[in-house]
Amino acid sequence: MTTFIIRRVVWTIPVILLVILMTFLMMRQIKGNPFRHTERNVPEAIQKNLERKFHLDRPWYVQYAYYVEGVFTFDLGPSMAQRTRTVNDVVRDGFPRSLKLGLLAYLWAIVFGVPAGILAALKPNSIFDYFAMLFSSIGFALPSFFVATLLIYYVAVKFGLVPTNGWPTGFFQLDSRVILPSFALGLFPMAYFARLVRGAMLETMQQDYVRTAKAKGLRYRRVIGLHVLRNSLIPAVTATAPLLGLIITGTFVIEFIFSIPGIGRYFINSVSNRDYSVVMGITVLTSVIIVIANLFVDIMYGVLDPRTREAR
Amino acid sequence: MAVDRREAALPTAPPAVGVGAAVDDSSAGAPIAQASLWKDAWYRYIRNRAAVAAAIVFIIMVLYCLLIPGFWRIPGIWTSLKDYDPNAVDFSQAYAGFSLDHPFSTDKFGRDLFARTAVGGQISIAIGFVATFFILAIGVFYGSIAGFIGGRLDNAMMRFLDALYGLPYLPFAIITLAIIGTQNFLAMTIALTVASWFTSARIVRGQIITLKENDYVRAARAVGARWYRILVRHLLPNTLGVLIIAIFLELPVVVLGEAFLSFIGLGINPPTASWGSMAQDGRDAYRLHPEVLFIPSLAIALLVMCANFIADGMRDALDPRTRETS
Repeated sequence: MTTFIIRRVVWTIPVILLVILMTFLMMRQIKGNPFRHTERNVPEAIQKNLERKFHLDRPWYVQYAYYVEGVFTFDLGPSMAQRTRTVNDVVRDGFPRSLKLGLLAYLWAIVFGVPAGILAALKPNSIFDYFAMLFSSIGFALPSFFVATLLIYYVAVKFGLVPTNGWPTGFFQLDSRVILPSFALGLFPMAYFARLVRGAMLETMQQDYVRTAKAKGLRYRRVIGLHVLRNSLIPAVTATAPLLGLIITGTFVIEFIFSIPGIGRYFINSVSNRDYSVVMGITVLTSVIIVIANLFVDIMYGVLDPRTREAR
Repeated sequence: MAVDRREAALPTAPPAVGVGAAVDDSSAGAPIAQASLWKDAWYRYIRNRAAVAAAIVFIIMVLYCLLIPGFWRIPGIWTSLKDYDPNAVDFSQAYAGFSLDHPFSTDKFGRDLFARTAVGGQISIAIGFVATFFILAIGVFYGSIAGFIGGRLDNAMMRFLDALYGLPYLPFAIITLAIIGTQNFLAMTIALTVASWFTSARIVRGQIITLKENDYVRAARAVGARWYRILVRHLLPNTLGVLIIAIFLELPVVVLGEAFLSFIGLGINPPTASWGSMAQDGRDAYRLHPEVLFIPSLAIALLVMCANFIADGMRDALDPRTRETS
């Protein structure tokens, strides 16, 4: 087990380097020099100095090395559009808000999606099952911007139950403003978890060991709780990592609609401002988070299901 | 949207290999055996009511998008309807409301939404299918090389995919758009392809690796078939089932991706409509005229839902073993 974890952790480092390299090379392909956009004509000497300051006169692999060094020392460089701020400032401002939004969305999914899947699987083809799956199909299909606007329109505007936008400042501060954005973002994972858990439960319930457990005369509750549930929740754990990518994509849209100043909103603004260092910093940050989440899930999977340790 | 769903929903084992292809070799490609497999799948599919309904709605939507802009008038029935240009601006008609003249109302420029939804759908669906085609083409190419050759090359190629998996979908697409520099049909298609081809590569590789172990491949090898013959004649045709399912799993991802990009203002340049950009237009005044936002959004939702149901139905039809107890 320890070797498995060590091997997996060590393997993450080249993956992170490769992810940074890909982002770095892609960003270099975008046309335009950051210092030639200004209206004023920058004298040649100053231009040279600026390029030297930001290592732009060096070959690309040296620049890459500088950037990697920056990432590992948590310094993502200066912002190109906002003169007084660094990318670190932007991340420090935006990331906690996005993180909170994402975690709350997961919370919705786990609190409602997983039980819905379990209940649906316990009584397949019942009315509840039917509605849970219908709801799940709808949750899959509705674009989150539509859900968000629908919620704003009906819940916030028509009935005035909660504010239409805004976000509480502190990380642990919660108020009515978080309900709509997190629900709109959480709808997809909720639908996903419900379906996944239901499918896994139904499959597990047909396993031999479940029949054995029933034949032994174990009580229904014990069969479900000990044998079925435990084994059916593994896919739900594994699904958290790929879902993370979707949640991140979702935060971009949800933050845009609800005017939440998280990293997604900064990202979109930076794309239109051509603030490429912020774009790159946020991309690298989210990539590293996804890679680490994958690592974590793999390890969890190894712990939960020992058969997978060798195969991976 | 579902990166994971695409993988989870696909059968890990090849669809009905034993029945369909085990017989071939001398008659490689075995049209008779395959015909029965597909016929069988077809019968199973049409027994699935939800999947059939989804397919019908899907076809109707595609027909609506294709036919409405050209054949606006239905003689004898809807003769009062005029042949609206989807991009014609008429401010006197802004937010005209629902009427026979404008069954879907009009937007802030007085553009008829019935016609505009149709042309927007053309763009959305076309991007969806074209990007899906490229995604699968690249996936088949990459996945079959990795899976077929195996060994160290496979390992390296998969590690590269691991790294790509780390890149988040939307930022990746946005950066690609920034590199291309314009926002037209081709750019959107490329961006969405680049951001999401890896899942299909992984699926194809998995398929090839499982199929490679089959007896008929060994038999083909034993009679001296070259590697490309084994790949093209024996392995790839057997991934076809999975690929057809993958079309309908990939399509919603691309359509939603395009809608997201358009909605945050990074879609195809106006006045070209897509469902995403129409929803973005509708956002300006959704409190007073929610229909302008709701109609394109519902169109997206309906299309995505149909594609999901079709994919589910096809999966059940092509591989009965994975069918959930129902």
